[in-house]
Amino acid sequence: MAIRPDYPLTTERLRLRPFTRGDVDAVHSYRSRPDVARYLFDAPLSREDCALAVQQRTTQLHLDQEGDRIILAVESQADGVLLGEISLIWRSSEARQGEVGWIFHPAYQGKGFASEAARRLIHLAFENGEFHRLYARCDAGNVASWRLMERLGMRREAHFREHAVFKGEWDEEFYYAILLREWQARQAG
Amino acid sequence: MSSFSLPIATDRLQLRPFERGDVEAVAAYHTLPAAQRYALRQSRYSSDVADVVGAMRNQVSLQRPGDTLSLAMVRKGDNQLIGQVCLIWSDATSGQGEVRFMLHPAYSGQGYLTEALRTIFNLAFDEFRIHRLTVRCDGRSHHSIKLMQTLGMRLEAHYREHALFQGEWDEELHFAILDREWRPSTKVVDFRRRSATPDLPRAAI
Repeated sequence: MAIRPDYPLTTERLRLRPFTRGDVDAVHSYRSRPDVARYLFDAPLSREDCALAVQQRTTQLHLDQEGDRIILAVESQADGVLLGEISLIWRSSEARQGEVGWIFHPAYQGKGFASEAARRLIHLAFENGEFHRLYARCDAGNVASWRLMERLGMRREAHFREHAVFKGEWDEEFYYAILLREWQARQAG
Repeated sequence: MSSFSLPIATDRLQLRPFERGDVEAVAAYHTLPAAQRYALRQSRYSSDVADVVGAMRNQVSLQRPGDTLSLAMVRKGDNQLIGQVCLIWSDATSGQGEVRFMLHPAYSGQGYLTEALRTIFNLAFDEFRIHRLTVRCDGRSHHSIKLMQTLGMRLEAHYREHALFQGEWDEELHFAILDREWRPSTKVVDFRRRSATPDLPRAAI
């Protein structure tokens, strides 16, 4: 399989498009925030870190082999503001497994943008039957994120307690997943 | 000083290191298809089992993360080797361990595994200062599920069709138990204190 979409992907209010060099400041505006970094693997990013991240993302647009990732900027169609980012990672070729993720600027949360973008990305992964199962994970304290997973129709598959140390504390983590046929049933329903 | 020494006696069993002469008894359960799932190495054929036993003979202590302790379950009355239990020290900073086991099906349903696993759990939490123990099993393995519940483990994960195993979609369960859940009287140890204590986890033997 391979997924090489024609960009941008659009939804009612959003454009999911490749990152460009001009996005560094917009990315820095949310990735530098401690409240955004709290649940991410990275610490808050400097502008230099963001420039590097954006540079890498400009080429993360296709899934040609296991391990490849698509990372897209999510922008508002109305005013072109960059709201956040969304990702699809090809985790297993044999078992057709993928992982989805998202990071949004807190100023634009609570408006359904992340749901809208995630639905489009999941549709991309499932529409031609390339993936069999998609999963997402987050810190158990990241309520906005796992509520979104539930809205997307994902099931909570795992609740790990104190399985690792994360940023100086015991970690508690949720895994959510959805199978192709579960997604199809939701589309039909 | 650690009080840990082998073999360990339980009511009806001796848990002892593997020996060269165990190959035949190990082959009797190790080559069964169901046993392959969590085998530390493939042993579909009896000829592979000598290598498996060879490796397990050296797994007699936990000195550093990644080490495995493998013990044979030997029945006291007749010295019959009926299965094995393994404790893997997977991470030091966060005190993580995994337990794996195999029992010859002819000896199931008599509480031998419960007895052996209770002993291994005590060892993991008391001697090796493990913070959290996990057990993985096939989602269709009802014996294992019941056993984990008997031991008071929580179901932490139920993965559906997350991988292929022997050509079929797999279903896997992860059970876990924390030190304070195994020993409710144990004080909660902050991991920072754990990692600041140089002699923890203690080396075995």
